[in-house]
Amino acid sequence: MEKLYTFLKYTFITLWTVFIVAPFLWAVSTSFKDFQSVNSKVTYIPWLDFEPTLEGWRVLVKSPARGGVDIVEPYFNSIFVTCTASLVSIVLGTLAAYALSRFTFKAGFVRNNDITFFFISQRIMPPIVLSIPFFIFLSTIGLLDSLLGLVVVYIVLLMPIAVWIMVDFFNRVPKELDETALIDGCNPYQAFYKVVLPNSIPGLIVAGMFCIIFGWIDFFFAFILTFTEVQLLPVKVVALNSSITPWWSLSASALISVAPLIIVAFVVERYLSKGNLSGALK
Amino acid sequence: MEQIMAKIDLSNISHSYNPNDANPTYALNPFSMTWENGKRYAILGPSGCGKTTMLNIVSGLVRPSKGKILFDEKDVTNLITEERNIAQVFQFPVIYSTMTVYDNLAFPLKCRNFSKEKIDERVKSVSDTLRLSSFLNLPARKLTADQKQLISLGRGLVREDVAGVLMDEPLTVIDPDLKFRLRRNLKEINEQYKTTLVYVTHDQNEAMTFADNIIVMDQGEIVQVGLPKDLFERPKTTFVGYFIGSPAMNIFESEVSSEYSVKINNIEIKTNSNLSKLKDKNVKLGIRSEFINVAEKEGENTIKASLTRVEDFGNFKLLTANMENFIIKSKVDRELPISIGDINLYIPPEKCCVYENEKLI
Repeated sequence: MEKLYTFLKYTFITLWTVFIVAPFLWAVSTSFKDFQSVNSKVTYIPWLDFEPTLEGWRVLVKSPARGGVDIVEPYFNSIFVTCTASLVSIVLGTLAAYALSRFTFKAGFVRNNDITFFFISQRIMPPIVLSIPFFIFLSTIGLLDSLLGLVVVYIVLLMPIAVWIMVDFFNRVPKELDETALIDGCNPYQAFYKVVLPNSIPGLIVAGMFCIIFGWIDFFFAFILTFTEVQLLPVKVVALNSSITPWWSLSASALISVAPLIIVAFVVERYLSKGNLSGALK
Repeated sequence: MEQIMAKIDLSNISHSYNPNDANPTYALNPFSMTWENGKRYAILGPSGCGKTTMLNIVSGLVRPSKGKILFDEKDVTNLITEERNIAQVFQFPVIYSTMTVYDNLAFPLKCRNFSKEKIDERVKSVSDTLRLSSFLNLPARKLTADQKQLISLGRGLVREDVAGVLMDEPLTVIDPDLKFRLRRNLKEINEQYKTTLVYVTHDQNEAMTFADNIIVMDQGEIVQVGLPKDLFERPKTTFVGYFIGSPAMNIFESEVSSEYSVKINNIEIKTNSNLSKLKDKNVKLGIRSEFINVAEKEGENTIKASLTRVEDFGNFKLLTANMENFIIKSKVDRELPISIGDINLYIPPEKCCVYENEKLI
């Protein structure tokens, strides 16, 4: 019975790994092919089945004038917009979440839970509903087709995630911790950043990770709110496609698009598995 | 070091958690009390009687709905916790998990900008007392639950200049052996530094062995403040009689029969209380099981009952006897030969407490 269980477990894990890794292997191999190798016959092994070429990768960094597509600038745009928006969302979201977790708000029938739900409800709406208001808003303040405009919109999209995760996290930090800090001589602000915040690093990391993921992969708003001046990576990658699908450069761009998230995943996984949550309180 | 320890006055304090409702319910009914500098107080009462609310009001975590708090005649009611110079230890360990044990203990001093040498000296002294010296450089989260509670306690004791150290059932999670030693340590600290200690507990033995003065609370009300002996011998209400002592005080429904005596089931019992001024003739007679003796034969102030159970506790025997609808418990010497059956119990008049409307006369 035990053996059967182990066997099934490893079988499942192997299948799952194949399922996850296969597309990546396919993309890696395709990114080194040219038109000939993709369209003639099925090929797997470099040098034996097909002659590997760096053309798919080279196109990505060449300027359009020289026949390339240049995703370098959109790449850095995406990094800038995602990181800035995530950072602002985390800072504002954490402060909002702390207030929602520790203080009691009353405005008419509105209570803390209603405010928290209001934040989350921003993400319940289909994005398309928000597209016209955002478009009009950005064009009114003259930030259409600009990095700053995108940052503003992404903060609106990411902050609910930060608030949602952090409220839940702070609710699990007993209020005795803040009270002890007050008794030990902190003022309320010191109690927050000297005691509560260091205790909340795992929560901050999780919230940060989600913000980065959702910011990085957004195509819809980047597509609607930009035209020529500014482009973000997802839009640029989609724009690579043409009547003859360039599988090689699409694969290459897909790989470097996913790369930052893979790095983030590894870093976060390490940090979280150190058991930062264990023994924090009690 | 400058002496900042203070007399703490609670003046007409009351507190409600829903003061704006049409019918606010009070967690604490109005009361006034003074905590003298350098004494040990125990606040004793069942869960939910307002003990913790009272502590939080003193430390400033809760602002009372009404009344004033004075530290050495200075009104601190509107001061926030940080400005009150008070230490508080909670029931469950609260540690700063990202810091080492040393930094945890040093934190209250660092927040108040003490010098490095002073911090070192105080942390060393406190960690020696609490036997935490060998863990000082470990991350606090690596310690066991009772060690963590020692850290909480240590943070409360590390400052010498506090107006008082408030402890909310601080030893609940600590094993009995260490508990006993810590209680003694706390007493020593109190005697050495003359720090006012206030200790909340629901364990009467803990309260009795720890405090000079015990404050008994019930349902948001302070029912009695006094020395352990007073609480034991002269409980001011039947609640205190029930709550303090093991077993609880014997309390009998009775009727006033003359100036100094009451009748229980037509048996006349003399007391030392003057009952002539009572309007209501229905009173309750309370007597500790410790004071009821076995008499050889019937006589004055003896009750004839049938002994139904004898429990040997090792150092004493607990007798349970029935007299019609009453149950009488008596603690007697374990050497006393005793057998199930009829028994005469003597009730000494000087130990009788008579209660009118649950209050001592």
